[in-house]
Amino acid sequence: MKLNNYKFFEQNWSAIAVATLVLCVFLTIASPAFMSFANMQSVLVQASVTAIMAVGMTYIIIGGGIDISIGAILFFISSVFAELFVATGSYPLALGVSLITGVLLGAVNGFLAIKFKVTPLITTLATYTIYRGMAIHLTGAQNIPVPREIGYLGNGSFLGIPVPILLMVLVTILGVYLIQKTRFGLYLRAVGSSEESAHESSLPIMRVTVLAYLIGGLTAALAGLILIARVGGLQSDIGIGLEFTVIAAVILGGTKLSGGSGSILGSVIGAIFLVLIDNGLNMLNASPYVYDTVRGIVLLVAVIVDRLSEVRKSRELIKNSAMKMRGTTS
Amino acid sequence: MGMSSIVKLLKSYPSLPIIAALLVLFSSLSPYFFTAGNAESILLANSVVLIAAVGMTLVFLTGGIDLSIATVISATAVVGGVVMAQTDSVFWGTSAALLAGLLFGLLNGICVGFFGLNPFITTMGTALVARGIAFTLSEGIAVKGTPEVLLDFGFELLWGIPYIMIVGIFIVVICSLAMSKTTWGRQVMLFGSNREAARYCGINTRLIETSVYVLSGLLAGIAGMVSIANLGNALPGVGDTLLLLIIGGVVLGGTHMNGGEGSIMRTVLGVTILATLTSGLNLLGIPFYDQLIVQGVLIFVGYTLAMKLSRT
Repeated sequence: MKLNNYKFFEQNWSAIAVATLVLCVFLTIASPAFMSFANMQSVLVQASVTAIMAVGMTYIIIGGGIDISIGAILFFISSVFAELFVATGSYPLALGVSLITGVLLGAVNGFLAIKFKVTPLITTLATYTIYRGMAIHLTGAQNIPVPREIGYLGNGSFLGIPVPILLMVLVTILGVYLIQKTRFGLYLRAVGSSEESAHESSLPIMRVTVLAYLIGGLTAALAGLILIARVGGLQSDIGIGLEFTVIAAVILGGTKLSGGSGSILGSVIGAIFLVLIDNGLNMLNASPYVYDTVRGIVLLVAVIVDRLSEVRKSRELIKNSAMKMRGTTS
Repeated sequence: MGMSSIVKLLKSYPSLPIIAALLVLFSSLSPYFFTAGNAESILLANSVVLIAAVGMTLVFLTGGIDLSIATVISATAVVGGVVMAQTDSVFWGTSAALLAGLLFGLLNGICVGFFGLNPFITTMGTALVARGIAFTLSEGIAVKGTPEVLLDFGFELLWGIPYIMIVGIFIVVICSLAMSKTTWGRQVMLFGSNREAARYCGINTRLIETSVYVLSGLLAGIAGMVSIANLGNALPGVGDTLLLLIIGGVVLGGTHMNGGEGSIMRTVLGVTILATLTSGLNLLGIPFYDQLIVQGVLIFVGYTLAMKLSRT
């Protein structure tokens, strides 16, 4: 692909990429410690949990849905993993069962959302409550410590690179491939942009939608395994509010809630951007309580700017076509 | 009562079968269920949710959603609490809380109504802003110094009904009347069922859409003050667990998320269902996590049923 054919500023992730670069420059000027290798690595490791889940969420949103329950899925998976590992002592068993459970929970979301024609927001709000209740039922509302040495997914490194970063890169590459190069990706975009026309062209709407939610469940499970290893055990507040951070990352990345299109890469950069903001606030010695407010403002500003540029584009389009019409009639 | 009037009743209040089933179930399982004391505690615990759910219903009727309502309750409670701690005046505290709620509502309303932003994302952003403000202003702990008058208000009864519940009933009545008797109410309903038609009728659709978010913010402010009266302190995290109950109450009552179908009285029933459920399960000694599972199942089943019943 020639570089001049590849229009950087027309990608839907270009805005977040530019914003991230600007923020990086700003943080480097503000504090020389920012650009250190160690800090960069810790930013990416911190971003990995949100980023991996954001990839799954992007699939769901492209398909025209939303999933509020992913934080609860993450919590449920962490509980299953901790309980199973403590009970059996077998790492592969706990890992395998956890990932399969994630797939199942995601698939249940997708099935309920598509089968009963209930708004996905309500469906996943209901499953959020159910999954969270089930998880606490499973653990009896206890915190379960997990031995440090089994936290390979969260704390290990491979060829000198921390495993969470590798997993994030792997999930991103797979995510981009699946949406751009496979028939599933094509169908998903079609279903998301218009379920009606997808129905008329007899696309397998059910299968495609369930698969998108299933990917959401799987990425939440993977993120849960990373998180529990990094935190060092199961805590009762794991995953609360995480769904909104993940959705914020996806929106900042240039994906629209209306469905039909979106950017996996943008979502991942969005997740990194959110961590960079935390990082910057931390350097400014801001109270941790302010973080939420800043995130909220950033999100609002981002959607307002996006909306304004959309309005400008459509005005230009009208102006251009009006001029063309005047040209033909005179 | 004839068959057709039963059908009509079910169409307007699709959640009636569920509430009847719950009442029969719990009163047969626990002798304490149908007592005045239990009814009072149900009412006390749910007035905050009820007031906010009225606001959420108005937003739902236009086809929108207000995810910020829960954390705006926290933020307004903290604002009111801080002002009351400084001035020892319930009047100034309430004014400050209502003003804060109004401003949050205005922020949502302008973004959604005038800029045409997606309500889900906008109110999610506002929710984060409000949560940060609540925790920053209170430094993460309960705000002390609530005036005695307000504390008394939270405990006293009028004709056996808690005062704070009377606030809730008052709001329900006013908003129901506004919806059914005023031009504004009819415009909201028309806007929710068909935006284009509303625009062609010459309705100022931007103003209508903005108004419901402003009201939702204002009601969240009232709910914030009520939460102080109910709990004794302004808590920065008071709203965190309420969003589920608020949305759950509205959808269980049978108000559609896509707008144009629903009513405030339906929401009253929906909130009552969740309140009855919690109270009944508590009396039966069911742990809170198992209650969550039941709640989730009921919200899904109830919403599906309500959609079916109100359409037939």
